[in-house]
Amino acid sequence: MERDIPTYSLLLLTVFVMIPFTIAYFYQLGLKKDIIWSTIRGTLQLFLIGLILTYLFDLPPLVGIPIMLTVIIIVATFHARKKGKELPYIFITILIGLISVELIVLAMWLGFDMISFTPEEVIPMSGMVIGNSMVAMGLALERLKSEFEQNRGKLLAALSLGATPKYAAHMTVKKTLNAALIPNIDQLKTIGLVQLPGMMTGLILGGVAPIVAIKYQLVISISIFSSVSLSAIFISMVMYRFFFNKQMQLLKLQDIKKSG
Amino acid sequence: MTNHIFQFNQVNRLILKDVNFKVNEGERLIIFGPSGSGKSTLLHLFNRMDDPDQGEIYFQQQLINDYDIPQLRKKVGLVLQQPHLFPETVLDNLKFGPSMFDEWEEERAYQLLNYVNLPKEYLTKPVEELSGGEQQRVSLARTLANKPDVLLLDEPTSALDDRNIEAIEEDLINLIEQHSLTVVMVTHSMDQAKRIGTKGLFIDEGQVIEFGDIAQLLETPKTEELKNFLHKS
Repeated sequence: MERDIPTYSLLLLTVFVMIPFTIAYFYQLGLKKDIIWSTIRGTLQLFLIGLILTYLFDLPPLVGIPIMLTVIIIVATFHARKKGKELPYIFITILIGLISVELIVLAMWLGFDMISFTPEEVIPMSGMVIGNSMVAMGLALERLKSEFEQNRGKLLAALSLGATPKYAAHMTVKKTLNAALIPNIDQLKTIGLVQLPGMMTGLILGGVAPIVAIKYQLVISISIFSSVSLSAIFISMVMYRFFFNKQMQLLKLQDIKKSG
Repeated sequence: MTNHIFQFNQVNRLILKDVNFKVNEGERLIIFGPSGSGKSTLLHLFNRMDDPDQGEIYFQQQLINDYDIPQLRKKVGLVLQQPHLFPETVLDNLKFGPSMFDEWEEERAYQLLNYVNLPKEYLTKPVEELSGGEQQRVSLARTLANKPDVLLLDEPTSALDDRNIEAIEEDLINLIEQHSLTVVMVTHSMDQAKRIGTKGLFIDEGQVIEFGDIAQLLETPKTEELKNFLHKS
């Protein structure tokens, strides 16, 4: 059974928006414009995506899927790159990382017969994997920068003892990966206990049997878990090198781009 | 042929301007001068933790750039102002350098602790349980573990109290003599310069103002800059 939300109900969502708006108004939080603008923007964006998806779902899979995946990956790359503006080749590195992650995951899904090569399945699932990988890369980049800043003394000590950049940075990269992966591991531990995961909720609301919804959720959760790990490892392993120059000297963040 | 271990020819780097001097084997050169005069910048050029913009540096009669960088840093050890010890234990720190070159021998550990007057039991102690003075001793032993020919010291006692300074200085002098090390040291303390150094290099605004026997420099300064500096310190 497919249930739809009537248009008048959707319009009544304004009531939900009025709650934070009223709070912002009474407490003069200076957020009124932001609340209105983000609501309108979010609504328009979603309807636009809805229209695009409807169009893409009608296209042959070999046309529609590559188009949408390209758009998703490029938008995600632009977004994640903001966290590593100071680093050279950041755009191309993230782009290669996201494409690789997507191809690996997609190959496994299709190869192991988990999903079929249709836009309805590939696009939303890939969107979730890429979105989470984007966040993971951003987090890893931020963490990498702060770890290098905090451990500057130790890194200098290691280099001065004859360590290569790879050897010297080992501890720093390890800490970065720990910090980037722990929330991901925790999330997997509490899955279904704290909140029902989004995909499963969507499928159940759409009328799919809970056990089938759980199977899909399992596929996506494990896929996200591995792609997030892969993304954080990839970006950290490629990017730590730029904190050193060819003479095995430690660079300051503001000098990295000049030397890169 | 002379026994120069280091030779700086017309070296320029950031604030440093046309720096020329030589260090002989077994000498203990003290680099001193006002804050921001380029002392640490100069020190970091000795083991390529930094490179000159212009000029040449020779180490053991060979251009410093011709050396394999890890090998050079092994031969020219640096002790930083702060100990910056690695996790976890004292032993992990002592073997850090030699392990990279496949030269670690377990029996060296006690010898190294002995050099810096720390008891044997300290070997397995986590570094965060050590006092400031003990941490700096481990840092010194960690550098010595690489068996360097030259020891660079960047104000190694500036973060310590008087009692610790005296004790570490004593160990340092013993070690330098035992191993006939060449030493290049940056310090703010003129008393320390006198106790440890044989030669002195006074630097101001990136220029070498006076260079020579440390006792002579401190007792009979020739330039107004050095006289003023000694008067203030």
